[in-house]
Amino acid sequence: MRFAAGFPGIAGLLLGFSALCGPVSAAAQTPFSDIVVTAAPVYEPLAALRGQERFPKGAQLLLVHQGKPEPLVAGFAATADANVSIDGRSVLFAGKQAANDPWQIWELTFADHSLRRLIASSADAIRPFYLPAGRLVYAQRTASGFQVVAAGKSATSALAAIDAAAGATVLPLTYVQGSAIPADVLLDGRILFESNFPLGSEAGNHLTPEMFLVYSDGSGVESYRCDHGAPRWGGHQLASGDVVFTHGASLARFTSPLAHEAPVAAPHGEFGGAIAETAGGDWLVSARAGAGTHYALKVWKPGTAAMQTVLAQAGLDLVEPVVVAPRTRPHQHPTALHDWSYANMMALDARLSRAGDLKVLPASVRLETLDAQGHAVVTGTAPVEPDGSFFVKTPADKPIRFSLLDQKGAVVRQEHGWFWIRRGEQRICVGCHTGPERGSENQVPAVLLRTTTPADLTGVNPVSSAPNKAAGGN
Amino acid sequence: MSLRALIAGQWSGLRAAFAASTATLALFVVAAAVWPALNRPANAGPRDTSADELDYASPLELVVSPDGGRLYVLCQQSEEIRVLDANSYAVLKTVHVGRVPRGIALSPAGDRLFVTNTWDDTLSVIDTKALTVTATWPVGAEPSGVVEDRAGKRLYVANRISSDVAVLDAQTGAEEKRLMGGRGTSYLALSPDGNRVYATHVYPNASAHRTAPESEITVMDTTRAVVTDRMPMHGIAGVFHLAFSADGRLGVVAGYHPKNLVPLAHLEHGGAFAYTLTLFGADVGKPVEVPLDELDRYASQPFGVVINADKSRIFVTIGGSENVVAIDAQRLLAFLRTHPRPASGSYAQDLSASSNYVIARIPVGHNPRGLALSRDGRRLFVANRLEDTISVIDTRSNRVASTIALAGPNGTNPIRRGEQTFYTARYSFQGQISCSSCHIDSTFDGLTWDLEPDGFGRDIVDNKMLEGVKGTEPYKWNGGNPNIPTECGPRTEKYFWRSEQYDNLTLADLTVYIRNMPTRPNRWRLPGYELTPAQERGKALFSRAVDKFGKPIEEYNRCSFCHSGPKGTNQKLFDVGTRKPTDNGAMLKAPPLTEIALTAPYLHDGSARTLEEIWTVYNPEDKHGRTNDLTKDELNDLIEYLRTR
Repeated sequence: MRFAAGFPGIAGLLLGFSALCGPVSAAAQTPFSDIVVTAAPVYEPLAALRGQERFPKGAQLLLVHQGKPEPLVAGFAATADANVSIDGRSVLFAGKQAANDPWQIWELTFADHSLRRLIASSADAIRPFYLPAGRLVYAQRTASGFQVVAAGKSATSALAAIDAAAGATVLPLTYVQGSAIPADVLLDGRILFESNFPLGSEAGNHLTPEMFLVYSDGSGVESYRCDHGAPRWGGHQLASGDVVFTHGASLARFTSPLAHEAPVAAPHGEFGGAIAETAGGDWLVSARAGAGTHYALKVWKPGTAAMQTVLAQAGLDLVEPVVVAPRTRPHQHPTALHDWSYANMMALDARLSRAGDLKVLPASVRLETLDAQGHAVVTGTAPVEPDGSFFVKTPADKPIRFSLLDQKGAVVRQEHGWFWIRRGEQRICVGCHTGPERGSENQVPAVLLRTTTPADLTGVNPVSSAPNKAAGGN
Repeated sequence: MSLRALIAGQWSGLRAAFAASTATLALFVVAAAVWPALNRPANAGPRDTSADELDYASPLELVVSPDGGRLYVLCQQSEEIRVLDANSYAVLKTVHVGRVPRGIALSPAGDRLFVTNTWDDTLSVIDTKALTVTATWPVGAEPSGVVEDRAGKRLYVANRISSDVAVLDAQTGAEEKRLMGGRGTSYLALSPDGNRVYATHVYPNASAHRTAPESEITVMDTTRAVVTDRMPMHGIAGVFHLAFSADGRLGVVAGYHPKNLVPLAHLEHGGAFAYTLTLFGADVGKPVEVPLDELDRYASQPFGVVINADKSRIFVTIGGSENVVAIDAQRLLAFLRTHPRPASGSYAQDLSASSNYVIARIPVGHNPRGLALSRDGRRLFVANRLEDTISVIDTRSNRVASTIALAGPNGTNPIRRGEQTFYTARYSFQGQISCSSCHIDSTFDGLTWDLEPDGFGRDIVDNKMLEGVKGTEPYKWNGGNPNIPTECGPRTEKYFWRSEQYDNLTLADLTVYIRNMPTRPNRWRLPGYELTPAQERGKALFSRAVDKFGKPIEEYNRCSFCHSGPKGTNQKLFDVGTRKPTDNGAMLKAPPLTEIALTAPYLHDGSARTLEEIWTVYNPEDKHGRTNDLTKDELNDLIEYLRTR
């Protein structure tokens, strides 16, 4: 049996899917590969950022072959979040075998329809993506919301079969209050994820989804762009390197030359969720006429005036399409984290900021973290050098926030949100929220001419006099 | 089957075997044994031009004849000029020149073609009617760029190693004088009015330790053949081709803007380099530096520059990014007029600036270098050095219209693949750097760097020459890396590329390339390796066992002990008293002495600007050899000898 309903609502809709709806006439001649798309009666794409259910009435993945849809996999009450492997031979997805089960991560091999559960946990695991070298990344529900985690072979015996040389264990990549959900794996090896802006802010009624980046070892977290304000989500990278995303109900993009988002002149409609790109450069989008209608799967050639419907289904949203085809392997990030319990961070010139450079030199920098109750706790302060530089040792793998203080200890400027530094990470910031468009000046930071030992702001140890040295010959 | 083909077949088998195993070290041993048979030794005699021994062409530079009918292509590895019909691209003739040619220029009338030969320090003069070499003139050390003045009176030749410009009689080749350029003087351009020659240099001039690099554009008056100006290029190390607009109001030069003083913790936001153009001339007033990079994509290693006739476009080859950047010159000038100019005169830190003037990044072949416009400006020819092709770009569509394949060996051998890996930026985060970003033309960059794993601000390291590196392990100043695969594999991936890892075969090829990098001729050696009297005296000091006061010098404190063997290293670690407070340890590997005359600054952290400073400033306790008993003349003798190594 290819399809066994475990979730009567959505299953009932889908059992008769092909006969009732079928594709539109043009779909049978679609010039692109097979597509996997999520079909759901209700689609609330941002619910996961509030820790809630995106598909409250269930969802099922459909394989659209030559324009004809059929359930991708049998025996599940709900399936969603397809991600096709780099070689195009298998697909990751989130699935519930029974309606009351948590979402778990599964893998289906297209050739023989073999099915493996890769991640088994007592809480929801959603939105999986393949990483190079047999790893995967997904969102794991935790007490503080969904967090992005990566898994290697030791996470599951099934995963070991993907690549015996893969890394080990489940590795949390995000460390924030609130939720972080992966959206794509970029060609440069970083993971694009959605979270609330400011990062680490508590989920509330006025959350603003924003897109952030992190390496596959959890280091290097930063905003993709710093023209914050509009809600941005559903990002997907094109072959060109541009990232297309949903901005409100329209589409926009990040492109390498620009420090701000650029609009996409798409045909009229409301767009939702990630797009997919065909080998020919067309976009597969989820679009609807307006509120109260459902998203259909459409194809659009960028620059043209109209979209064509690939698949539509009364009563169902068709969202988050993926193309079943091999694709370029993202870079395989070689982690350079040191074997430390802490992290080091240096700012080259704390006066610099996208919000306007400070005219007066701050006297010191203060670091805060969050305690178990979520209260801000000061871990220490360190001087800011005459050139605006500072070098500090910080707590790792937990939310932190910097504030710049004047001579009297008053806050001159403070980060809006929270971020983290991985244990063993050494990081440099050009300024305090300078934005990714601002490169570093080539000068020795004054703090390093005074000392190469970072001021200890871990809140645990006194200032160490030991040199900061990594072992080995690297 | 030729020997070359036979060995190539064996190599294929080895690669296949390697693919099936991870016996990396064993492969390198075998590769090292096999490969020399495939390549002429560094100081080989005249080349064998039989078909079986044909080298890669490696087109480096090209020029178009004044009538637009011919394309002259300088092929560095095959050591020849290939003359192509500029319309059909048929090869009209191949003219062999000297060893490892680098520079090419036509006389204003187009009747003579000048080619510099870097390894035999000569200039080939080619009659463009007969297409034969009519003269070969001696010039300075490692001649590179060349231009003739408008009057056909003088030739200017940039000499990279002697860091000067030789002024020659254009008819006889007799050298009139030398003009001091920047360190590593390499590229020349004649102003459109013919009144001035401009020279750039690839290594930074000497500057204080741990300060930003300084370079210059050396300006020479062609009437008197004297230097009239040195335009400072602050913060830039590595300056390449320059070009002028036809009206002479805009000069453009390609350069690297390193971030060597900031700990290299990551590559985001231009963490290692900005790649820039410096503009000068009446159109811009004071010289100004503009970036070619973007937020998520870098223009790694700009090299060739050309401005079209109506000054609407600037084209730049980007060697590491394997593309050509097309710039709307008028938008660029408008950007400069409308954006407040930073006090530094540089926009290099603004990664969004290029969105105002870069209109296309046109993918071409491996390691694009020289470029030239057709006479009507509609075609841009680009020499893809490591692909043996020439891309022909339609300048209206900014697309490659066709690709000219230059005759050469079929396929690629390990050294060619390794060299491609060495020069491409594709492995690094957002394509920012490659090995060749810091090892310019496979040498060095004259800079010291603050690498992250040793700690921020700690273990500042001088970048070293790669030639002759084979057999001098361990690597790194602290001897921490036992072999080249470790040095170039995990270390480079983690702490430099920070984005991608080599597969085993790629790393094997890269290692083969580095191990077999030829060593250039040593200009301080006499023919037959005889020594001058000063060098003989220096050799005696180098080897002495007793100081001037008759006291024995402990074996470990003799120059010849640590710097023993053919490459001047016994491959062991010593404390020579040069440890700085920021160094994690005092034990340093005795570095090889190969081509030491070229590679200032010196010591592990680059704190000695000259060889002399090693002993006069940084050896107060005679821990770095017994030298404090020597006079200045004797130290000079010692240096004279060391330069022969």
